[in-house]
Amino acid sequence: MTLAEMQFVIPDLRPASAELFMLAMACGILLVDLFVKDKKRTLTFVLTQLALLGAAVITFMTSTGEIAYTFSNMYVDDLLGDLLKLLTYLTVIVVLFYSRGYVLDRPQMAKGEYYTLTLFATLGMMVMISANHFLTVYLGLELLSLSLYALVALNRDSVQATEAAMKYFVLGALASGLLLYGMSMIYGATGTLEITAVAERLYQGQANKSILVFGLVFLVAGIAFKLGVVPFHMWIPDVYHGAPTAITLLIASAPKLAAFAIVMRMLVNGLVVLAADWQMMLIILSVLSMAIGNLAAIAQTNLKRMLAYSAISHMGFMLLGLVTGVIGGDARFALNAYSSSMFYVITYVLTSAGTFGMILLLARAGFESDLLDDFKGLNKRSPWFAAMMMMMMFSMAGVPFFVGFFAKFSVLQAVVAAGYLWLAIAAVIFSLIGAFYYLRVVKLMYFDQPNDPSPIHAPFDVKLLMSANGLAVALLGIFPQALMSICAVALLRSL
Amino acid sequence: MDMKSLYLLVPLAPLAGAMIAGLFCRIIPRWVAHTATIAGVAIAFFASFLIFKDVMAGNTYNGPVYQWLTSGDYRFEVGFLIDQLTVTMMLVVTSVSLMVHIYTIGYMKEDPGYNRFFSYISLFTFSMLILVMSNNFMQLFFGWEAVGLVSYLLIGFWYTRPTAIFANMKAFLVNRVGDFGFILGIGLVLAHFGTLDYAAVFAKAPSLADVTISLFADREWATVSLMSITCILLFIGAMGKSAQVPLHVWLPDSMEGPTPISALIHAATMVTAGIFMVARMSPLFELSDAALTFVIVIGSITALFMGFLGIIQNDIKRVVAYSTLSQLGYMTVALGASAYSVAIFHLMTHAFFKALLFLGAGSVIIGMHHDQDIRNMGGLRKYMPITWITSLIGSLALIGTPFFAGFYSKDSIIEAVALSTIPGAGFAYFAVLAGVFVTAFYSFRMYFLVFHGEERFGKAHDAHGHDAHEGDHDDEEVAHDHHHGLAPGQKPHETPWVVTLPLVLLAIPSVIIGFIGIEPMLFGDYFKGVIHINAEAHPAMSELAHHFHGAVAMATHALTTAPFWLALSGVALSWFFYLKRPDIPAAIKARVEPIYTLLENKYYFDKFNEVVFAGGARLLGRGLWKGGDVGLIDGIVVNGSVRLVNWLASMIRFFQSGHIYHYAFTMIIGVFVLLTLWVSRV
Amino acid sequence: MEFKTFVFYFFAAIMVFAALRVITARNPVQAALFLVLTFVSASGIWMLLQAEFLAIALVLVYVGAVMVLFLFVVMMLDINLDRVREGFWSYLPLGAIVALLMVAEMGLVLGGNYFDLFENKVPQAAADATNVMSVARLMYTDYVYPVELASVILLVGIVAAVVLTMRDRRKTKAVDPATQVIVKAKDRMRVLQMPSEKQG
Repeated sequence: MTLAEMQFVIPDLRPASAELFMLAMACGILLVDLFVKDKKRTLTFVLTQLALLGAAVITFMTSTGEIAYTFSNMYVDDLLGDLLKLLTYLTVIVVLFYSRGYVLDRPQMAKGEYYTLTLFATLGMMVMISANHFLTVYLGLELLSLSLYALVALNRDSVQATEAAMKYFVLGALASGLLLYGMSMIYGATGTLEITAVAERLYQGQANKSILVFGLVFLVAGIAFKLGVVPFHMWIPDVYHGAPTAITLLIASAPKLAAFAIVMRMLVNGLVVLAADWQMMLIILSVLSMAIGNLAAIAQTNLKRMLAYSAISHMGFMLLGLVTGVIGGDARFALNAYSSSMFYVITYVLTSAGTFGMILLLARAGFESDLLDDFKGLNKRSPWFAAMMMMMMFSMAGVPFFVGFFAKFSVLQAVVAAGYLWLAIAAVIFSLIGAFYYLRVVKLMYFDQPNDPSPIHAPFDVKLLMSANGLAVALLGIFPQALMSICAVALLRSL
Repeated sequence: MDMKSLYLLVPLAPLAGAMIAGLFCRIIPRWVAHTATIAGVAIAFFASFLIFKDVMAGNTYNGPVYQWLTSGDYRFEVGFLIDQLTVTMMLVVTSVSLMVHIYTIGYMKEDPGYNRFFSYISLFTFSMLILVMSNNFMQLFFGWEAVGLVSYLLIGFWYTRPTAIFANMKAFLVNRVGDFGFILGIGLVLAHFGTLDYAAVFAKAPSLADVTISLFADREWATVSLMSITCILLFIGAMGKSAQVPLHVWLPDSMEGPTPISALIHAATMVTAGIFMVARMSPLFELSDAALTFVIVIGSITALFMGFLGIIQNDIKRVVAYSTLSQLGYMTVALGASAYSVAIFHLMTHAFFKALLFLGAGSVIIGMHHDQDIRNMGGLRKYMPITWITSLIGSLALIGTPFFAGFYSKDSIIEAVALSTIPGAGFAYFAVLAGVFVTAFYSFRMYFLVFHGEERFGKAHDAHGHDAHEGDHDDEEVAHDHHHGLAPGQKPHETPWVVTLPLVLLAIPSVIIGFIGIEPMLFGDYFKGVIHINAEAHPAMSELAHHFHGAVAMATHALTTAPFWLALSGVALSWFFYLKRPDIPAAIKARVEPIYTLLENKYYFDKFNEVVFAGGARLLGRGLWKGGDVGLIDGIVVNGSVRLVNWLASMIRFFQSGHIYHYAFTMIIGVFVLLTLWVSRV
Repeated sequence: MEFKTFVFYFFAAIMVFAALRVITARNPVQAALFLVLTFVSASGIWMLLQAEFLAIALVLVYVGAVMVLFLFVVMMLDINLDRVREGFWSYLPLGAIVALLMVAEMGLVLGGNYFDLFENKVPQAAADATNVMSVARLMYTDYVYPVELASVILLVGIVAAVVLTMRDRRKTKAVDPATQVIVKAKDRMRVLQMPSEKQG
């Protein structure tokens, strides 16, 4: 092919307009913030929320429900992506509201960069969600991770935070290396990095199986790091614990959606031919995560650390849905299995946002409120917030008629339908072990005397959001069907 | 408004009322609570009436209204099945409930829990409507448990009284036994039919009629028919809810609750849920003679032996309660004889006249200032004329006086049993026939003692103290802390119109509903397509239809049959004993002391339960506590698992050292292990 | 053996050796210099693949800029690497075993005739296109999206570096000339009235 023959068509920018808007806004806010004198950065805050809202509007308006590729097939716009993006915006918006008071109390964090880096992280997640190319997955991941590393370290004077950032950075770099190595192997075997093209070549059976599986191991390791499942989980407790709670909230919520998206893109869309292999790998990781996550959480005295281990176990549980999609080459249950996983991850993000939000709400200047003992007697201080927290804990524990129960139930149902009865039994046993430490929080809140009996003051918007969050956990438990069918439809139209 | 929203309106209107009265019970005034709930139930009643007309025009409905959850192959839906059976139940439930709501305004006037009470009874109405309107087992079970819950709450309504707490605990525990069978039955249905939808289950039932399953580890000797075991398990659920022997023990004690709910829940509606459920499941029960035999035997034992207990009771509400038990037995007998429509017919007539009798009893209790002992009454007809007339009508209906509602339904049951060929029908025929005499005797014993004869109130009050204590001691504590009774010289008075109006309104159907209902309901096409009867195997109903020549002919013909004369002699005997020669009962009592003691102790059912089940459970509990809990669980499991978890946690902590290179090394090991596993595979 | 193959193994051997020395050398400056050697040999291998642009870019960017900066930092900070490496030798056996096992596994999978696969698929360069032109063309057409993303990542890197290292302005000693000029004598000096301390 000579240069003269090279044809290039200007890519269609419409499908990616939300990303473009987000980038423009992030750069714009970076500049505007230079001229903001206000110590509270109210303008920056408002602009950031508007950017997220605007992106949501654009994503919603441009959503056609069809699968559209652009940027030489590196970018894909489909219903799955649109849905996950909308949820990501929503989560980040809520996260920013929850964090506002906490950030204002800590002058090191109340900088404009907190907002711009959050926006860049969001952009990274959007890129990951819409990636149709291993390179784009990687770049999105790096964009997200780099922003998060910086955010964790934002509170420079805190030794804990700096240490957490360092660990996150080094281990993240290692994980990126593993991921890239895996991608290069897949490129070696198939000659392309475009996910849909990889899938095609695999269908044609041209690729060398052993190189592929070799690359797959590294790919799974990289993804496992991002999801935080055993044995690639070691960063999670230290980072969740060390990072300022506002940043922990961000790390623990929206990126899980993006991580789910890249699992769907890379493993399900790209490497479905190798499903038998990666499913087996994920089963091992999943069982280990549920075991270690739930057991270690029991021994914790710090709520953030406990929730970190709980996150590990939840991600392990979520993987169960992904491992039951294709059974013996039969993909009949795939939709059911994947949509149950998606439901799981969405509801986990919802609950996790609320729980960390509650820690933020109780925190004041100079007081982190992240010990389990800080929740003693919450019911006496604020019955309403105690009730909200109780609902979140019940949901996480999988108590019936809270949304967490249905998430667990639908995943287990997919597992049983796939014939892995032992796996379902193991999952139930580990969940029961896990219920202990969630219920312990409830016990502390309701049956113990508070260390500090002062009532809780929260701004109206946070109160409102927290109530909405808690009620969503309860209401989705009673009416789970709508969200469940949305997940199923999004997957059906995108796979 | 289309029909579907009308269907939705029926259960949701009482729910809305319950929520208004319940959620804001501390802040709203009384009139808001009763207006909101009565409006809700009234709306439900009128909507039910419109639906009834629509169903009469031939528009039945079966479909989901809300899909709750789809999970793999299982769908859990909220759905309605609207047909003749449903609409009959809806009308009965909403109309009796409406009457009870109005009556409550007067009855609970002085109670501090006024708003709470209204909230509960509206919630009950909602639950009961969900139960009867369901088109699947899941929703049926929801309604089943919901009415149980409200019943539990209402029996213990006066939660400061230890007897009330004891009674609601008893009701709760006994119902658990029934529900255990019920849920096992539902589980069998789900396992073997693969669906919980009525229509789908019924469609599939005939093909599974001959299937057998093994109850124990696939052993030959444990093989039973699937259909029989399913039906018997479902019926065990009905036995709990509809208080059939031996799960009847909770119903008399449930009289601890306020009288309006005794009328609504423990006489007219909830306790008939079991009867309704069996009638609804007629396509399943028809396939199993074994189950039908079980049903008819249990029913006839209940019908006869619970009647005997009514004779010796002195608490006005307990007399009516035992009569309810006995009448529920009659309905069950009808079910066993495959005369489902007769059972439903008796259910309907019974709902009206038994609600009437209970509300009448409640009215007497108000008039007597909460004295419930019939030995302290007498001659009340002068003071409470409306209550007297309506109670007389209720009693006449109950004993089956020709032309009254109870006559048509009860006589039909007796006829159907006579014609039934099911094993056990012979015993059942004897039981129901004897039951007629017993019913007439205890009903009019109560009637004469309360409304006629010597005026014993006021002066008899002192005697009350030691005399009433021969019965079980639950009664007496009640007597002390709640039954004030009339002061000497004080006269009973007629109750206000909110109490008497429902009595009058209920008296009307108690008289006429049998006369107008029997022809269409039993012998017309009313239940066609709803209730399935295998006419060849169980010919009772079709035979019965041959003998029927119209309602008037039936009544006049009855004058020549045994039941009528039995009832008449029962009335005559009670007149003789309690008005003419009040000394005779005492003499008899002295002669047949053992029998009397047996009855006094309610055949020792409670004693048996207390010693064997409660005592056994306590023994078992103590054993488990000492051996299992302290030794095994605390010693090995708890402490052991604490040690294990601690050990595991310390291991995890050891790896979670805080050193980056440990973390990185763990990751590398992870990759290495995966790699090794997969490289060796390929 | 073809000459090209010989050159490949030559560079490869140097690269592996230099990489090993990077992590074993005691002197940090030496280690950094060995890293330079690793980059140079890598660029030699790229030359063999006719990827001149990449080879030169590697030398220019990494050797010329990144590593020089790195050397400065290492020299200026005067890190005592021996102390940083305490425990290195105690962890080495375990690490070495795992590393060797992994290398063996990789060899198992990737060794042997699988390498043919790559050679066959390497596209031949077009006659009239230079390396720079092709890369530039691809970067700004087909790969415009990743390139833009990479630039955003760099931007985030800059922002992060600034926000994490920049201290508050209050602590800097710099003075604003404008305020220096407009200042008046009475602003500079304040006379305080103090009561005189009395003796005894």
